[in-house]
Amino acid sequence: MSFWERMEKLDRRWVYLAVGIAVIIPFILPTPLPISITTEAQSLFDAVEALPDGSNVMLVYDYYPSTIAECEPIAIAACHHLFRKNCKIITLSNIPYGGPSMAEKITRMMADQYGKTYGVDYVNLGYKYGYVAVLSGMGQSIESIFPADNSGTLLSELPLMDSVKNYEDIAFIFEIADNATADYWVSIVNAQYGVPIGCGGTAVMAPKFYAYISSGQFVGLLGGMRGAAEYEILINKQADAVKGMQAQSLVHLLIIGLVIFGNVGFFVTRSKQKRGAA
Amino acid sequence: MRTSLPIAVAFISGLVLVVAFFFRDDSLIGSLRQEFIVWLTIIGGFTLLLGVVSIVRVSWTAVKRRKEGWFYKILTLLGVFAMAIPAVLPVSWSPLFGRSDGTIYDWLFNYMQSPMMSTMFATLAFYIASAAHRAFRARSAEATILLITACAIMLWRIPMGEAMLNMIPGDLPSWLNTYVMGGANMAVQRGIIIGAALGAASMSLRIILGIERMYMGKG
Repeated sequence: MSFWERMEKLDRRWVYLAVGIAVIIPFILPTPLPISITTEAQSLFDAVEALPDGSNVMLVYDYYPSTIAECEPIAIAACHHLFRKNCKIITLSNIPYGGPSMAEKITRMMADQYGKTYGVDYVNLGYKYGYVAVLSGMGQSIESIFPADNSGTLLSELPLMDSVKNYEDIAFIFEIADNATADYWVSIVNAQYGVPIGCGGTAVMAPKFYAYISSGQFVGLLGGMRGAAEYEILINKQADAVKGMQAQSLVHLLIIGLVIFGNVGFFVTRSKQKRGAA
Repeated sequence: MRTSLPIAVAFISGLVLVVAFFFRDDSLIGSLRQEFIVWLTIIGGFTLLLGVVSIVRVSWTAVKRRKEGWFYKILTLLGVFAMAIPAVLPVSWSPLFGRSDGTIYDWLFNYMQSPMMSTMFATLAFYIASAAHRAFRARSAEATILLITACAIMLWRIPMGEAMLNMIPGDLPSWLNTYVMGGANMAVQRGIIIGAALGAASMSLRIILGIERMYMGKG
């Protein structure tokens, strides 16, 4: 069996081992790599930057715990940027599976860093079933959909919510999603109420969201860990996403290498078989 | 009655929500729409409860009858009760109850559920690498175009790859973003989105008019 034939029939356990090594190496030997900024990330940054200080912003944690590696750095970077601009943050989630907990954990952690007070500078509305109904209903009254926050405190007892009744009081929506809820933010909230939306999503979802970029329904887009890394660079707070890009770089190169080796092996084997048949 | 009542409810609810779209929020029909939406979230809450009851019943039956994999069902039941009970008990009883910081639910979520789900998702990287090596073959012209495009996009999305692409004259990274992601990809995605929206609209219309009855378990 030739080298190329062996490469084509490479045992998958070697592939697993190679991926494992490619992920671990950058954490042992970190090599900072220059990351350029895409126009989509720059537009999102500019849109947030252009908000007047103290604006009310909705930060939506529409992702499952499984995609924390990609979405959490986006959420942390968004909190840095928004709290730095003294924006008032209203968080919520359309994901029953841990969404409100992630919103609680990240926003509280970032709020502590910036000395922000719960109820005054930020509020976690939590989760409510039925995202289409929730998004539609908040257009008329947030309080009718979320009478209480995530921990059960009535909205009427939270000073921030005195000035936030519906989407008219929201200057910007920062949606972080790993699923199709982002589509409903576009079709219900942006299209019907005209609130500008910026989106951070997983790399798998990003290609779909390009349709909303060119139509202007998303002001900007952060695609996966790369998008998070770009935003970290833009806000000058390089953290997990920038570090993670090193591992992602090696794994992408490894996969491309494996595809090339597999294809060369495939063609070599096929030409041998053809010659044998002739 | 068992058929006509649900159809009437679906017709009235659907009609109110559609018609209200053309009225102001503070109009009578706008208020009615808001009321219907609140009902929807409440009814939806009960469907979540139904899901919990269902998984408990199915798992308990499997344990009782010692069906294959019954041990894992015990873990499922433990997971359901360990997460749910401390989360719904009143905070006034103990600061460990409820869903905020430092509660049992919070601890289980942050240190068990979240890492387990992330781990499951992370294993995809290994399978994707293995599948790409074994199955991603340039067998036809279409497959070759897909293969080259995928590799180019994967290179563009990483700093090292972007540096490699920049060695080729013609600002390839920018070209990929503009013409592949913002051009061909966007056009295809838009087609899918419009197709799905038309399908959803026609299905909604069929339900409102009582033509589609599958939601009642009838064809």
